[in-house]
Amino acid sequence: MSLPPDSPPPIPNLELKARLLLLVMVVLVAGAIGYLMYARGAFERTQEVVLIADDSEGISVGMNMTFSGFAIGRVGRIELSPEGNARIIVNVPHKDAHWLRESSVFTMESGLVGGTKIRAFTGVLTDPPLPDGAERKVLRGDAAAEIPRMIASVRELVNNLGALTGPEAPLNLSLANLQRTAEKLNGPQGAIGVLLGNDADAKRLSLALERSNALLARLDGLVLKADGIAARTDGIIAHADEQVFGAKGLMPETRATVVQLNGLLAETRNSLKKVDAVLVEAQAIGANTREATTDLGALRAEVEASLRKVEHLVNEVNRKWPFARDAQIKLP
Amino acid sequence: MTEAQNPSTRATADPVLARFARAGAVASATASASADQLLQMAPAALTQTPIRWLRGWWAVAQFGAQMLVLMLSPSSYRRSQHPALYYQLHAASVPILPGFVAMSALLSLVIIRIVVATAQSYGLSQYALDVLVRTLVLELLPLLVALYVALRFTMPAGEAVAELREQGQLQALWRAGGDPARDVLLPRVLGGVFSVVLLAALSAIMALVMTYVTLYGFTNWGFASYTRDVGQVFNPAATVILCMKAFFFSLVVAILPLAPDPRHEGASLQRRDEISQLGRLFALILLIEVLSLVGNYY
Repeated sequence: MSLPPDSPPPIPNLELKARLLLLVMVVLVAGAIGYLMYARGAFERTQEVVLIADDSEGISVGMNMTFSGFAIGRVGRIELSPEGNARIIVNVPHKDAHWLRESSVFTMESGLVGGTKIRAFTGVLTDPPLPDGAERKVLRGDAAAEIPRMIASVRELVNNLGALTGPEAPLNLSLANLQRTAEKLNGPQGAIGVLLGNDADAKRLSLALERSNALLARLDGLVLKADGIAARTDGIIAHADEQVFGAKGLMPETRATVVQLNGLLAETRNSLKKVDAVLVEAQAIGANTREATTDLGALRAEVEASLRKVEHLVNEVNRKWPFARDAQIKLP
Repeated sequence: MTEAQNPSTRATADPVLARFARAGAVASATASASADQLLQMAPAALTQTPIRWLRGWWAVAQFGAQMLVLMLSPSSYRRSQHPALYYQLHAASVPILPGFVAMSALLSLVIIRIVVATAQSYGLSQYALDVLVRTLVLELLPLLVALYVALRFTMPAGEAVAELREQGQLQALWRAGGDPARDVLLPRVLGGVFSVVLLAALSAIMALVMTYVTLYGFTNWGFASYTRDVGQVFNPAATVILCMKAFFFSLVVAILPLAPDPRHEGASLQRRDEISQLGRLFALILLIEVLSLVGNYY
């Protein structure tokens, strides 16, 4: 074709410049699309955490879940469960999933200014990691919802305060009593009067105190006497010491006795030696006696034989003697 | 007017006479003009006005449809078309690029500083980024780009095309076997569309970079959280609405100034017509903007 009649003056390297412009535009648009996809988390591998809440108000798709103030996940989907609860599906990138553990707690807070915030808290980082698709109840904290409750509590508190500070209130009566007590404290009876309440008791207490004083005085006397006794006992003990351990005491004499006993023992030992010698001699006598006893046997036998002979002789004399008794021989 | 000019040339020696003569000429001209207006104020002309208004928009719609069809048909991008296309792409973007970059950077910087300082003074700096991305990138900069391209490229191009029409050169081209819509008009339309898209992308990226630098300085530690916040603003609905808005802005800016105006039927454009054309353009852009706001925030 032919260019229109108003065809412009030629521009050097027009084609190159135009292609460059097209390239710049394509790069800009593609870069913007890529950056937005990256910003939306299109290139992240994620795992799901299902948060169960009774109300999904303030939650929107794409909002952050934070851990220690850092965003570690974003809401991917919100559903209504068959039980009527809101199921908030949060996508957590794998690289941040290790912050979530079995014991992690999830909260949903909505402040007075700004949107609702989902936060995760992990107390024990050594617990087993949260599995993919785990379901957790989310704790809801709502500053705006707290206000009516707080106002109700404050009203109750104010009522209680009113009741406390009323004219017939126990606190007022207590204060009046305290004032009376203070007056009594400053009075003649002082703290005793406050403690005991009536005057009679206070007087009795005073009396008891006086008696106690008297008792204490007597006790003092007793203690003095006991001191005297103790002093005397000390004298006795000193005397006994002298008797026992003095120069003419029991102990030196005992020592002399022991020395004498030693001498006695030595003498006894000598005597015993002599007795030993006597015994040796007695043994020798014994031996002799045994020999003599053996000779005595023979002697006895001889004596017996002599006696038999004498008996026989006597028997013979008797038989031959005229006035002898009848000799009878009895036969068995 | 020839009768009125003659006495004035003759009476130049006497200033008083000349003054009277000029006054008489003005009076007679005013009288003849008001008489013409009275003649033109026929009831038929009054009833024709809405119909002409409708006809005007109908012609614009037809022209737009024709341009869209030509844009989508591969025959418009033949090798023989390349020089004209390249020339218009270049003419639509390169001359206005430095001025626009400077202006949009300055405007972005001012708005960023205002928003950041205000947010900090209220202790709400965490919402500054959200506000900035929404106001600057999503709303203000596309609007600015559309108006800038319209004023600096497509409206002058439309004037040039109207002159060509008036001179009958488009008819001559048609008779010579060329296609004026494809050869003369389409490259300008494509140049306008290209310019709007390029400048919108450029200004948006510049605004994002400047916002980051204003918030975090020349460091990279805030990049992750910044990216996350930007990603939150650009949810799918907002992104689709932004893309559609940029596309329709570019179409309106590129097509409306080039469309034939049936009210003139070949007459050259006057200054008053240019202003009314700018008004029409602005009305359409505003309509698209309002629709996008409705889509984004309702």
